[in-house]
Amino acid sequence: MIVLKNVTKRYDSLTAVDDVSFTVKAGECFALLGPNGAGKTTIVKMLLDFTRPTTGSLSLGGIPSTHAECRTSIGYLAENHHIPSCLSGWNYLMRCAELLDLGRSDAMDQCRRIVELIGMQGREQTKVGAYSKGMIQRFGLGAAIMGDPKLLILDEPTSGLDPIGIREIRQLLESFKGKGMTIFLNSHLLSEVEKICDTAAIINRGKLLVKDAIADIVKDGETLEDVFVRVVRG
Amino acid sequence: MKTSKTVSHIAKIVKYTIVDEVRHKSFVVMFVISAICVFIIRGCYGGNYMVNGQYLDSGTVIRALSKVTFYMIGVGVMVIAALLSMQLFRRDRNEGMLSSVLSKPIARWQYVAGKAIGLWLLSGLFMFILHGIVCLITSISLKLFMPEYLVASLLCSVNLLFVVIAVLLLSLLMPDIVAFLSVLGIGIVGFVADGIAAASHSQIAQAMMPQSDPLLQPELTWWKVVYHVWPKLSGVQQMASSLIESESFHGFSTIYPLINVLLYCLILGALLFKRFRNEDIV
Repeated sequence: MIVLKNVTKRYDSLTAVDDVSFTVKAGECFALLGPNGAGKTTIVKMLLDFTRPTTGSLSLGGIPSTHAECRTSIGYLAENHHIPSCLSGWNYLMRCAELLDLGRSDAMDQCRRIVELIGMQGREQTKVGAYSKGMIQRFGLGAAIMGDPKLLILDEPTSGLDPIGIREIRQLLESFKGKGMTIFLNSHLLSEVEKICDTAAIINRGKLLVKDAIADIVKDGETLEDVFVRVVRG
Repeated sequence: MKTSKTVSHIAKIVKYTIVDEVRHKSFVVMFVISAICVFIIRGCYGGNYMVNGQYLDSGTVIRALSKVTFYMIGVGVMVIAALLSMQLFRRDRNEGMLSSVLSKPIARWQYVAGKAIGLWLLSGLFMFILHGIVCLITSISLKLFMPEYLVASLLCSVNLLFVVIAVLLLSLLMPDIVAFLSVLGIGIVGFVADGIAAASHSQIAQAMMPQSDPLLQPELTWWKVVYHVWPKLSGVQQMASSLIESESFHGFSTIYPLINVLLYCLILGALLFKRFRNEDIV
């Protein structure tokens, strides 16, 4: 589903991503882990063609990431998601549905279903300016799952959510995983990652340090957090 | 199939651009103030004006005033279009709409085309309504419908396309306010240069200038080249106003400003697409 081949991204003298290669199989729930500034968000941006790699290539479903068609069945949730303040949550979801070329009735059905799924019934017509950060994040996730994408790219999806919200998002992700959706998760919440994901990669200073099944990375008596600290500290 | 999808994507971006701009209070306030100003000018139509000791007839006054108003609206809406354009990309970026749109199967050029066309249509409609109000007032005062006025308004919208594309391009290269001021500067220099050129061709100026040998070829200087290559926004306005007065065209020199501005739109548009293609989406 996702293939990165010798991807390097340089910003002047800074190397944000250094010769990274890995693959994520269809139906896999994958977590990209690393400390702040490790290059996780840069990789996500390159996957979505928000920024181009200096060298190397990325492809999604066999299509190069530079082609707009590869984003036909991708859902994306940005870290600290924003929604135009002049829109309501419903308007925003409808707009995202229209951009996916869904028909009006189909779009409305999907929006109703998603509003229910993200637990925002009764609040969807309120202007975004009155939403909390967590509510905006929920609508962002709702927009990401619009059109039942095959691949979900989530950059810190639980950012700004309270513990109950985090739990609800985890349950949602588990249900998506159960439907065979490929999930690319970029998160700091290692305990949540350990519960949801099958495979994980750890990067630090742009270099890929580990990429394996979580069951193989985490030894007996260890947690993913222990592994993360051990690997990052070298 | 692919073409219809492309058109559909651009049409959606156009729609969102127009809807988002109209939703902003500042746009509504600007529109209401402009419409009120145009209505206030109506009061000047009924005044008595004296030139060289002779009263002007009301028809001449109305025609002259409507032409002045036509110019003022054209220039005013160009400034408004520049103001609306300068924050277009930044606002979409800050409000998350840019990443929302580009994470969908929308190509970058489709997004840019939709934004530019949307703003051009909106500012064009803004100008057309204001010109329409003046046309209505003039038609009622003269008891004569002047459809040329509306055709002239449509022709003037080419200037708006130039302003929108130029500000959008420059806003990717420099701070928004500098982009706005730069395009404003280009417009002012063009208008002043055309004013000086028109004054230098007047009978008084010709009489004051020393007579040159008619057999000599006119000298080609660098500033003459710059003058002719400079965006002819004022020229397009003049061309449009000549439609109102049903003046006859005088060959290439009459349509040159239109060709000049359209060429600029094409060149700047290509540069805008190229620049945005390499832009990092934050």
